[in-house]
Amino acid sequence: MSEGRTALAMNPYRPSLGTLVGIRDLATDIRLFQVALDDRQEGKGGFQTHPAYRPGQFAFVSAFGVGEAPFCLTSTTRRGQALEFAVNKIGTVTEALHRLGEGDVVGVRGPFGNWFPLEDMRGQDVILLGGGIGGAPLRPVIHTILDNRADYGKLTILWAARLPSLLIFKGEFDSWRAAPGTELHLTVDQGDETWKGNVGLITQLLEKVAPSPENAMTITCGPPVMIKFVMLTLAKLGFAPEQMIMTLEAKMKCGMGKCGRCNLGEKYVCTDGPVFSYAKVRNFLESY
Amino acid sequence: MGDFAGKIKVMARDQLLAWLDDLAGRSTLIGPKPVGEKILYKPVRHSAEIALDFTKTDLSAKEYFLPPTETILSMKREKKGFSVEEPSLDGEQVLFGLRPCDARALRVMDALFLDKEPADPYYAERRGKTTLIGLACREMGEQCFCTSLGLAPDEANDVDLMLTEIEGGYAVQVVTDKGKALLGAVALQEVEGVPPKPIVHQEKVPILEAGKWPEHFDAPYWARLSDRCLSCRLCTYVCPTCRCFDIRDAEVSDKGIERLRAWDSCMAEGYRRIAGGHNPRPTKAERLRNRFYCKFCYYPQDFGPIACVGCGRCIAQCPVNVDAVEVLEGLAAL
Repeated sequence: MSEGRTALAMNPYRPSLGTLVGIRDLATDIRLFQVALDDRQEGKGGFQTHPAYRPGQFAFVSAFGVGEAPFCLTSTTRRGQALEFAVNKIGTVTEALHRLGEGDVVGVRGPFGNWFPLEDMRGQDVILLGGGIGGAPLRPVIHTILDNRADYGKLTILWAARLPSLLIFKGEFDSWRAAPGTELHLTVDQGDETWKGNVGLITQLLEKVAPSPENAMTITCGPPVMIKFVMLTLAKLGFAPEQMIMTLEAKMKCGMGKCGRCNLGEKYVCTDGPVFSYAKVRNFLESY
Repeated sequence: MGDFAGKIKVMARDQLLAWLDDLAGRSTLIGPKPVGEKILYKPVRHSAEIALDFTKTDLSAKEYFLPPTETILSMKREKKGFSVEEPSLDGEQVLFGLRPCDARALRVMDALFLDKEPADPYYAERRGKTTLIGLACREMGEQCFCTSLGLAPDEANDVDLMLTEIEGGYAVQVVTDKGKALLGAVALQEVEGVPPKPIVHQEKVPILEAGKWPEHFDAPYWARLSDRCLSCRLCTYVCPTCRCFDIRDAEVSDKGIERLRAWDSCMAEGYRRIAGGHNPRPTKAERLRNRFYCKFCYYPQDFGPIACVGCGRCIAQCPVNVDAVEVLEGLAAL
């Protein structure tokens, strides 16, 4: 063991401390939390800043006094120092996080899990399908492609929510649309008086947009039922299972394959995933 | 080590009791102790509290490595933010009277908590600070099926010291250096002979190999079996290898918060349910199936060993007679 490090400093259950440096509303009950890690925590387990985290990975965020829960990292290291998490107020930990304000301290440990195969996707068209809060893990993919625009082909983003008020990252839509070779298609299950765009499921939008499967990869994130039907629609459009990437959500307590919570058969969403190809998932014993 | 080679080292019964008293004075001694009508591994101060004549304890010894509830972190609210402290774990402990199945169960948990990186620091600390003194079974118990899982009731390889009851005392096998150190200067008498072999029930339960399980995944068998399951979770709590856990915080004072880790059970309805309500394993049939698949199909693939040691506690404790042996036999007959 190297000097200055004790066994306890290596404790993977110990979170790094971080300060909430920015909080903004993304949609009804969904907020973006920006966390600046406390430098003094460096090397004490918790959030490992080296090597850099990648799009698709996740971390546990603690609301001290209530507990911690896993969230995807919705930021990229290139665009800023702060770690960003989009949090939907829907359970005990997320409710506690929503009660916090700027300047409050949270815990972070991670990053955990695998990541999207963005290196392998270079030179190909990319189709992203995000439903509701499921758009959160896709945002760092969009940022990565836009920040390395020449490395990728056409970018088609299909962005869906149950209601217009639940569409996340609205403030970034214009910059996505303005990027070269990039299309953004929105849809909602149910419109309102101000909504003039598509109404319908993301699968209907997908059939309408009908992206070509040639030299293309897709990434889907959303509720399980959405993923299921998007896979069927993609297959109908001629995409092979290897071209369908998804990221799955599961209840987790440790992030290291130990607590047992997130197994899909012999796979663990935390360590074997959360990113999987449909080619693999369709052969899993258990459904997600 | 482990073989007797025609000679045995004997610790007389009085000698054992005196040694245990000595150990209890120097460290935390845990041994099988009668508690009401049950026999449980409990900390003891005197050898007189220890049961030497028992088949197996009602609960395994896993709580001394993965406690039912433990504080993994203590947080304190400061003027600005929080401070985080890690607990100092208990000191050296000696676990006496461990049955071979329970000792093997620790090896099974080692595969997950120690060998799969990163190691679990709490489990590792307790495991490292514990010396195991095994006690061979004289006879397999009513629900025991350890021999079907490649174990023997006198298996010595998973402990530091192994004792086997003989006329007037115990045959001692020193298995590890840790065991040798614990034994210290206790003078053992060397005599000719071998200790008696345990009485073994010959019928073997068929254990389907891990690769054969997936073909039975969709069998209606699971729904039929789970009809009577109460989702009471007893099977997972008494199991020496079930290790699922939950982590949450508790406010313990104005400024103090403890992060607790507690046993959890895949038999609970909400175990896999995520915020928002989606539950990938909503039925009893799926949950009961998962428990058996975890033990005999998933765990061996992920971590190596089968996560069952044939102790039979789940059979003894299940209030509605879900019987692991019956399930294994039923599956082999499908």
